[in-house]
Amino acid sequence: MKVLHFAGLTRTPARLVKGLGLAVGLGAAWPAHAASWSIRQAPAQAGTPITGRVVDEKGEPLPGANVVVKNTNVGAATNLEGQYSINAPAGATLVFSFVGYPAQEITLNGRTSIDVKFAAPQSQSLNDVVVVGYGTQSKREVTGAIASVKGAELVNQASQNPVSSLQGKVAGVQITNSGAPGAAPEIRVRGVGALAGVSPLYVVDGTLLPQGTDLSFLNQDDIASLEVLKDAASASIYGIQAANGVVLVTTKRGTAGATRISYNGFGGVQTITNRVKLANAQQYAQLLNEKFALTGIDPSNNLPLDLPSTDWLKEITRTGSTQNHQLSLSGGTDRASYSFSGSYLQQKGILQNADYERITARLQTDFAVTDRIKVGYSASFANLNSHDSPGLPSGVFGNYGIGDLANVGTGVIPNLGLLSPNVFAQAYVAPPVLQPFLPSGRYGDPAFVGAGLGSFANPRATLDYFVQRSQGQTLVSNAFAALNFAKYFNLRTSVGISYGSSRFYNYQKADSLTSVQVYRGNTLTKGTSQNSQVQWENVLTYDRSFGTDHHLTALVGTTALRFHSEQQVGSINGVQAGGADSYYFNLGTVGTASLANNPGDLFTIFSLFARVNYAYKERYLLTASFRRDGSSKYIQANRFGNFPSVGLGWVVSEEPFMKGSSVFDFLKVRGSFGLLGNNNVPNNVSTSRVTYAPYSTGFFGNPSTPVTGANIDTQVPPSATRWEKAQEYDAGLEMRFFQNRLSAEFDFYNRRTLDALFPVPVLSSPGYVNSVGYLDNNATFQNQGVEAALRWTSASTGDFSYSLGFTGAYNQNKLLSTLSGSPLFAGILPLGGYRTTISRVGAPVGAFFGYQTAGIFQTTQEIADSPQSATAKPGDLRFVDTNGDGLLDARDYVVLGNPNPRFTYGLNMNFRYKLIDLQVDIQGVGGVEIFNAQRLVRVGNESYTEDFYNNRWTGPGTSNTTPSADLAGRNLDPSSYYVEKGDYIRLRNVQLGFNFPKSVTSSLHAQTLRLYANAQNPLTLTKYKGFTPEVGGTPTFAGVDLNVYPLTAIYNLGINIGF
Amino acid sequence: MKSITITKRRSWLPALAVLGLALGAISSCSKFLEVAPQGQPLTTQFFQNQNDASYAVASCYAKMREYNTVAFNWFSVAVYPGDDVDKGSTPGDGDYLNDYIYFRFTATSGDHERIWTAEYQQINLCNQVIQNVPGISMDATLRARYVGEAQFLRALAYFNLVRAFGGVPLHTKPAETAEELNLARATREEVYALLISDLTTAAANLPAAYGTADIGRATKGAALTLLAKVQLYQKNYAASLAASNQVLTLGYSLVPNFYEMFRIRGENGPESVFEVQCTTLPGNCDASNSYWALSQAPRPQFGWGFCTPTADLENAFEPGDQRKAGTIMYRGTTTPEGDSISLQNSNERYNMKAYVPNSVTKACLYGADQNIRILRYAETLLLNAEAANELGQTAKALDGINQIRVRAGLAPLPGGLSQEALRQAIWKERRVELALEYGDRFFDLVRQGRAATVLRSRGFVAGKNEVFPIPLSQIQLSGGKLTQNPGY
Repeated sequence: MKVLHFAGLTRTPARLVKGLGLAVGLGAAWPAHAASWSIRQAPAQAGTPITGRVVDEKGEPLPGANVVVKNTNVGAATNLEGQYSINAPAGATLVFSFVGYPAQEITLNGRTSIDVKFAAPQSQSLNDVVVVGYGTQSKREVTGAIASVKGAELVNQASQNPVSSLQGKVAGVQITNSGAPGAAPEIRVRGVGALAGVSPLYVVDGTLLPQGTDLSFLNQDDIASLEVLKDAASASIYGIQAANGVVLVTTKRGTAGATRISYNGFGGVQTITNRVKLANAQQYAQLLNEKFALTGIDPSNNLPLDLPSTDWLKEITRTGSTQNHQLSLSGGTDRASYSFSGSYLQQKGILQNADYERITARLQTDFAVTDRIKVGYSASFANLNSHDSPGLPSGVFGNYGIGDLANVGTGVIPNLGLLSPNVFAQAYVAPPVLQPFLPSGRYGDPAFVGAGLGSFANPRATLDYFVQRSQGQTLVSNAFAALNFAKYFNLRTSVGISYGSSRFYNYQKADSLTSVQVYRGNTLTKGTSQNSQVQWENVLTYDRSFGTDHHLTALVGTTALRFHSEQQVGSINGVQAGGADSYYFNLGTVGTASLANNPGDLFTIFSLFARVNYAYKERYLLTASFRRDGSSKYIQANRFGNFPSVGLGWVVSEEPFMKGSSVFDFLKVRGSFGLLGNNNVPNNVSTSRVTYAPYSTGFFGNPSTPVTGANIDTQVPPSATRWEKAQEYDAGLEMRFFQNRLSAEFDFYNRRTLDALFPVPVLSSPGYVNSVGYLDNNATFQNQGVEAALRWTSASTGDFSYSLGFTGAYNQNKLLSTLSGSPLFAGILPLGGYRTTISRVGAPVGAFFGYQTAGIFQTTQEIADSPQSATAKPGDLRFVDTNGDGLLDARDYVVLGNPNPRFTYGLNMNFRYKLIDLQVDIQGVGGVEIFNAQRLVRVGNESYTEDFYNNRWTGPGTSNTTPSADLAGRNLDPSSYYVEKGDYIRLRNVQLGFNFPKSVTSSLHAQTLRLYANAQNPLTLTKYKGFTPEVGGTPTFAGVDLNVYPLTAIYNLGINIGF
Repeated sequence: MKSITITKRRSWLPALAVLGLALGAISSCSKFLEVAPQGQPLTTQFFQNQNDASYAVASCYAKMREYNTVAFNWFSVAVYPGDDVDKGSTPGDGDYLNDYIYFRFTATSGDHERIWTAEYQQINLCNQVIQNVPGISMDATLRARYVGEAQFLRALAYFNLVRAFGGVPLHTKPAETAEELNLARATREEVYALLISDLTTAAANLPAAYGTADIGRATKGAALTLLAKVQLYQKNYAASLAASNQVLTLGYSLVPNFYEMFRIRGENGPESVFEVQCTTLPGNCDASNSYWALSQAPRPQFGWGFCTPTADLENAFEPGDQRKAGTIMYRGTTTPEGDSISLQNSNERYNMKAYVPNSVTKACLYGADQNIRILRYAETLLLNAEAANELGQTAKALDGINQIRVRAGLAPLPGGLSQEALRQAIWKERRVELALEYGDRFFDLVRQGRAATVLRSRGFVAGKNEVFPIPLSQIQLSGGKLTQNPGY
């Protein structure tokens, strides 16, 4: 029999567990049985022995649940069978608690045996414990804006990346998905908070991931919970790494009890949705002939209207497929627990030849070495393989060395000129009158389809001759040792390691496919890339209650972190084709090798941090934290920064005057302020360096011999750069009504990024290559918004139950000031060097910029009366001379739209009727524009859409919205013609499940058996005319739709079995 | 039942140990946070020895063949505004380039802003050499030569700027202070004064010829020819003549076969005074980066097909002028190297001087091995003849121009031409001899005062289009310190 003695502690055991979790959890859910070892055991108390058993909602024993005699220090914990024994007076009340379940109070009334069954844990329950940085906290005591999503809400979605599944589930978190295999989604917490490194910090079981790393190494079945620390006060415990929010990932940990085995698997198909109809051969020929007529090209060049038609998108795509299998085991004893899982994911993308494969393995153990010392370890390993696609980022090698890939990946296409190597780009502009193959079996030749059609490739040939594979490994691990001492103290030291390595090879077989696709050299290119981040942390926690009214948790800690990455890319010519076995440099031609080693990335961070949580009567809450960070990225004088935060909460419903309220079950107001830094900036921004670059090579002599070139060609800021800081105010309101069935949470926030590292435009005449500007503390910008999260849960009795959740957010992004007053232009399009976006004071960051159009010129007289008289002809776009100077040039440009959505929302619905469950997630964005550059990326040839064909101008009075078929010249200048509404509403996920009854499962010796059908993105409603309204991009060049991967839908069948 | 007692002493021990470690980490953290840039030496570590000087000088030359320096941006200010070329390629391709042919560009147009930037980048690289190399302890002759090479290249960049924009900010050393970073425009005369001073010094320190390892570097002859040209633009005829006269003694000669001179085998020949060296370095396409030939080669057969010769240029050649075949390529013909130029190409005529046979490696880009001819001895003779004629030295002028005519297979000009007639003859000879090479035609027309006449049909406005507008963005960034040219 174990009898626990809580010296000087009269709080509920739930609080105690929370406290311990806070002390030793370090971002990981603390296994419940931990309480049994970490609480000092003491002599038995007076009273009658009471025994009983505690089980969960399924009747499973709950080991490690706490039993406390109310208003005393007497407590006990359940053993492996869920049994407990405790001494209590006959009239006492016992309080039963277990993490994640609502506590139960039972008065003995003379009984000596009490069995307890916990009701199913309710998600979003007030008693939920949420993971905060370096600990956990009861949801009701949180003073900041923290959103928590349980693993159960993520599983069984077809996403390959856990972050994708968050779309629409967290208010204020905008996620932009790409359908490309292995592609990482873009995530923005409360708008664009910085210009460099805008992704949030990911922390997996306490291990900080390097900026730019995503969660693709993690199978989402392994996730216990995802917490998004949205406001600065919550995130500031992570100091300089947290400027864009923090996502805490807690993976599943084993719990004591019988071994649990589960298998989850799904498989299905992937198809393109929202396909844009391009003009067919007949329409294309018609349009081209019209264009010839308009531009004075001899009609003898006209195309016949009866040429066979090629649907190029169809030609290069297919129905994709996905399958995912996961097997997991977990269990443990009262001293040790473990969790193991392995998974296999395979995705064949909608683009032919592109696929992605992931194997993950994860092992977690916790071991109580003594009653006071505990050690634990968790490691996630992933092995990734992909067949890559021409001109697209590799799903594995990613954007590392994409410049090199762009050079080598498509070999030498001498005549493509400004055309992208991206095969989707090629398919979008290839004319339908081009045939993939000629009757002779040769590829259809783009050069000789017709006179004057311009530049394009045969995408079929591009795809067939593209050979590129990538492979990578990722390891994320965390090992810790924790010590409880002196009653209230816990000391924990941990080492977190994140390591990634990837490589690719690309082989370009020498061949002449078409007159514009001539590959030479039999070139083999290989690249490798490594990155590692190692952190060492020490945290000392003090957790104590004083009397009945005061509870204090305090912690101090240190972090030391070192990141290093490096990349090498080499190539050689003359390797004979022969498959992967022959792709080695030693088989190449001597003297044709080249090797590039990108400058490595190395930085270190050292930090001290402290936090105090104080609660008075569970009514008045205070959280205050302070972090001091030093980073090697800044010069010595500016290396250290201090980042404080404070949060206050008032649980109004706990006030005596509210006790009888019939309206509120719970009411809390809270407010917080925090300051963050941003370390996600380039290294050594203010250090003047020498550039060694291949393009600086000199050639001299006969024979011509290269001479290394090096120089000082980069301008650095005149003043040393200092921390970019984000300061944020957050006010929140949390309410519950109708016996907790309706919950509502509202937040208002104002985040200002001060001293933002923002390029300072500089004059060209000093002659530095970074004439677009150097990074300096140049700008202030603001994200301001409101968020709402509502949830209605039906009464849990009966055959039918349901819950409805709504998340919605409004965010306004605005550049408040720049030091120089100068705007930043970005978004240079590949044609004509037009700049499509501007970041200037008063407008959103990266706003679209160009001419305002005022219809179409109908007659030559209209043109003669306009400032466009020198350049326009009837059927051209008419631009507004906004400054009235009689000239049309960039001085007439106006802001045309905002690439940052003002509204994001989601509707999450769950229904259960007897054995059937249904989940429906709807998600959308609003108040956003897209620059449809897809429509203007043309080099002589035209990739018309059917929509264009139907609406074009063909003569006076025929159209005042769409130009004539001669969409060239000034029509290609950035203008409002290309800016479209990007709003969409989408059926994000629909899942129908069937749970087999006990009679079936027990015959299989299984606990659970569920079959389900799932559809992801089956329906997207949008007025946008491109392939997908999810466009993404960097902050100053976002929402410019240029050769995107088409939107896809996934349909799956899946099974869950638990033993 | 088990009872555990923990003594305070024991419990604090491990804590103290870890805290000690942590404190140790804090005390050594300043060292922990000292991280040098990876793969990028600090500028304070540069310009320390002869190698650094060699690297920095190589960069100056490399800049000359970069896309921004020598392709479309340069075409826009030096080639398209003349009457030698049309836009080329297909009608819609690069339509904005027509703005430069028809004088529709404004202060916000992109290409002349980018050539402004590229030329100043060239100047900065040269300034780095001119400022820092003299302080390096190394062979004194080589040191002076390196500085001379940089002075020549800087002069070439400023010459291009002053011709395109008039007076420009005169950066003669790497800019450091706020004041130096934002200079006002110097006068045209101040720029020319720097050119003359740079080229005079360079001519004194550069050798007349190099050993085989250094062919392609700037020579005395290059500096003097450019000086002669610069003086001619300033109408300092005597100084111009004196400079070109010196070049006549340096051993250059005209290559008998005009066509051959523009082939790769003709590079750095006896007529070559200065060429931008372009080479395919197998496996290093970043270094094999000249788009000069690619952008002008027949489209779609070899290249992009821009800067196609006009009928007006075609007609400027006298009957029997052998240079015509070396200057203009016609579709539907076969080159001496055996490439048939397809009738399916989008333009009728192409620049033959940019032609690279199909058999030459395209391991990186088509034509990446084609040197860009900047100065030839034929031009030296033309400069000499023009200056001589302006000074009334008719016989000398005739001698120079007739060497060129005879090489072209034309009859020598007779004696007894008036100064004006001879002037016109020299200008005509300049046009056809140098057509479609580096880009002098528009600047010549302006210098000769004929632009308004010759380019009227293209929309040239006298008193305005002699120079390009200063890029508006630069004026704004300068806080108004830069002033705009008249009419823009």
